[in-house]
Amino acid sequence: MILNQSLVASDAFEKHLINKKRKKHWGIKAMGFTLMLTSMVDMFSMLVVFLLQTFSSSPEIMVTKGIQIPDSITPSVVKEAPVLALSKDGNMYLDQKLVGKTISILKKPNNLLNKLNTIKSQWASSHSTPFAGEINLQADKEIKSTSVATIMGILTTSQFQSIELAVIGHR
Amino acid sequence: MRKKIGLGTKKELDAQLNLTPFIDLLSTMVCFLLITAVWIEIGTVEVKQSHGSAAKTQKSESFDLDIIFKNDKEVRVDLKKGSKRVRRLIVKDENFESMMVKLNTEIKNNILVFKKKAIEIATATVTPKSTVDYGSLIMTLDVLRKNKIVNIGVLTAKGN
Repeated sequence: MILNQSLVASDAFEKHLINKKRKKHWGIKAMGFTLMLTSMVDMFSMLVVFLLQTFSSSPEIMVTKGIQIPDSITPSVVKEAPVLALSKDGNMYLDQKLVGKTISILKKPNNLLNKLNTIKSQWASSHSTPFAGEINLQADKEIKSTSVATIMGILTTSQFQSIELAVIGHR
Repeated sequence: MRKKIGLGTKKELDAQLNLTPFIDLLSTMVCFLLITAVWIEIGTVEVKQSHGSAAKTQKSESFDLDIIFKNDKEVRVDLKKGSKRVRRLIVKDENFESMMVKLNTEIKNNILVFKKKAIEIATATVTPKSTVDYGSLIMTLDVLRKNKIVNIGVLTAKGN
């Protein structure tokens, strides 16, 4: 059957056959796509190079939610140690667990000291080397520096003498 | 297959790269690197607090630096040799950022050069005030670290 290619001057059946033929052709066209392999491999290689350059194998610490840590132009590598966090809303967290309100801990640090002593005893039981006294301190950039300084004093009395202040690095 | 031209058993010059494993490897690497990528670089600023007897065992001939905040626009800088103060500077400006620039210049020109000789600072202490926020304290520590003063302690002053 020779089909009229125009949909205007044909009956319903012919219209249906023309549509079917057209759809068949579209199907063939759709199957005949080509993948530009050269540009795809180029893109992949560039992505791999970029991601390899930005790859970091140093340990990462979780920043406690709600804390905006300050920026620094002289950052050092993060060390694996317990994390003490002081949030802007006045809460204190040790390893993501709430210790209490910072103001009350500054006045009565017994709760914090007990938790720090537990960390120290856990260290002593699992390590043969002497206690390094390292702790990561995360604090919101808008809180009073005197509060941080007092907390650092409490940490020092509890033999945590090497305090790593968490910052966002800008080199 | 391509026909060999000429006589003899010469190998073909056309090398064919098998693209399928190459693309497989690249896509696996891209996925792995994207998952493990760190977009925000978190670093640390180390503060070494001296404790009890450790502070007393410092050499008497070494230079120490004390930075004491008066407020967020003024700091007092004391250079000490042993426990004796040998130089005092007052650094102040209209805002904190410009004061930090001034402090950096003063440390470079008047602290690290003492009696026309380059000196090394053994320890530095920073005593903040309640009017100074933690971000500003980190900026002060940055100024010290930029000038290769790495043994830094943070003190608490009474009457903050």
